[in-house]
Amino acid sequence: MGSLIVLIILVVLALYAVSVYNRIVAYEKRYQNAWSQIDVQLKRRADLVPNLVETVKGYAAHEQQVFEEVARSRQAMMNAHSVNESAEAANMMSAALGRLFAIAENYPQLRANENFMMLQEELSGVENKIAYARQFYNDAVMQYNTLIETVPAVFLAGPMGKQPAVFLQIPEGDRNVPQVSFGDTPPPQA
Amino acid sequence: MSDAAPRLPDRFTEPTTGRRIDLLGYQAANRRNSWLLALVTMALLVAIAYLLAQVTDPGATLFFVGVALLIGAGQAVAGFWFSDRIALAAAGARPATVEEHRYLVNVSEAVAIGAGVPMPKVYVIDSPAPNAFATGRDPEHAAIAVTTGLIELLDRQELEGVVAHEMAHIRNYDVRFMSMLVATLGALLVLRDLFLRWGYFGGGGRRRGGRDSNGKGQGIALVVLLVLLVVSPIVAALVRFAVSRQREYLADAAAAWITRNPEGLARALEKLRAYSGPRLEVSEAVRSMFFVNPELNLNATGMLATHPPIEERIRRLRRM
Repeated sequence: MGSLIVLIILVVLALYAVSVYNRIVAYEKRYQNAWSQIDVQLKRRADLVPNLVETVKGYAAHEQQVFEEVARSRQAMMNAHSVNESAEAANMMSAALGRLFAIAENYPQLRANENFMMLQEELSGVENKIAYARQFYNDAVMQYNTLIETVPAVFLAGPMGKQPAVFLQIPEGDRNVPQVSFGDTPPPQA
Repeated sequence: MSDAAPRLPDRFTEPTTGRRIDLLGYQAANRRNSWLLALVTMALLVAIAYLLAQVTDPGATLFFVGVALLIGAGQAVAGFWFSDRIALAAAGARPATVEEHRYLVNVSEAVAIGAGVPMPKVYVIDSPAPNAFATGRDPEHAAIAVTTGLIELLDRQELEGVVAHEMAHIRNYDVRFMSMLVATLGALLVLRDLFLRWGYFGGGGRRRGGRDSNGKGQGIALVVLLVLLVVSPIVAALVRFAVSRQREYLADAAAAWITRNPEGLARALEKLRAYSGPRLEVSEAVRSMFFVNPELNLNATGMLATHPPIEERIRRLRRM
């Protein structure tokens, strides 16, 4: 009788461990999936850049410096492999594109060009999606880190070799929005 | 994908009231209530059909109950499977194409990424009145519709706020529950109208020829029937309004969380408050689904208000 109770307790414990294990894996997949969403948008932006540069060149061919800057950031984007490299290249490209659009302000004909207007909206759209994807990645990372650092998952995360994931540093002024505090779940450096 | 799809935190404290909100529990309750509502509706319809048969022709009880069950089942199925198409058609919405509405599509996609929901289908309604609504039975089959007036009136952050509000309704399964409620109300109204029409035309003669011995029982049944037919649509409507009001605050809070920008949504509400152009003409059944009441009585209070007063919504957002 006693051994039966012990057996039942062991089975229940094992089932519980399985569910915790699955939760850790699901949360890990979640933040990795969030990362690939950022990647998709970064690639999309990089694909739009040559078209934009061509259009701007048609009206402002002599602004060589900014074109080179954009090209360099795009190259860095293509060569980036780690999370940090790609984040750095992405910030470089944001800055370069920002300057390109600032220069475009001086060319009224360019601003009225339909293709340019379309590209401008498309790029600000992508810029926005990148910002949201990063915010979301950080949310997912925070949930994952909280999970593997608290009881009960912390007992399994160690043997599974799970390390806390790294938050993305989102550049200042990337999205000019005020901070919101939601009690015990503050947004990570958004 | 859907299993591992990232989500918002499942629990958070609503900033203004300090109330703990358990979103998972809230979603589960919404799904449970949807089914409960369908059952109650069925029971009510059967009761009405039974009484109707007692009053008119007790021999046809089975037939009446059968018809009522068919109407109820039809409404429930329609509410569950076709509510999105019905609502979109009722509002005169057409699909938004990337070419024509690049801005709206981009904003929706960005907010969907931030909210961690699949990209809903996006529709536009050709109307200068700024408004929006969401529909669909679950996040995988959801749609949001936005008027052209809203796109023109709002800047990017404000539009993000409104779209995020609608996505919150989708995520919380508010839209499923609401469409089931609308379907319930629809079924009751159909029955009431059928009965009234029958009372005017076919009924009178047959009742005169009925068995007199049943007179008293019939009288009671008739009274109960009339009370049910008159009262239940009113109760259904009141429940719908109350549920709708309470959900708006929660969707506002969730939108602020998704965009990390309560000010955007607050400014959008302010602009909508200041709007005084033509109204959006939509049928009564879908009115409470909209972002603000299409009738534009934005500060209505009390049992018949479909939305909380707009001033209070703005005030709560500003306090976050």
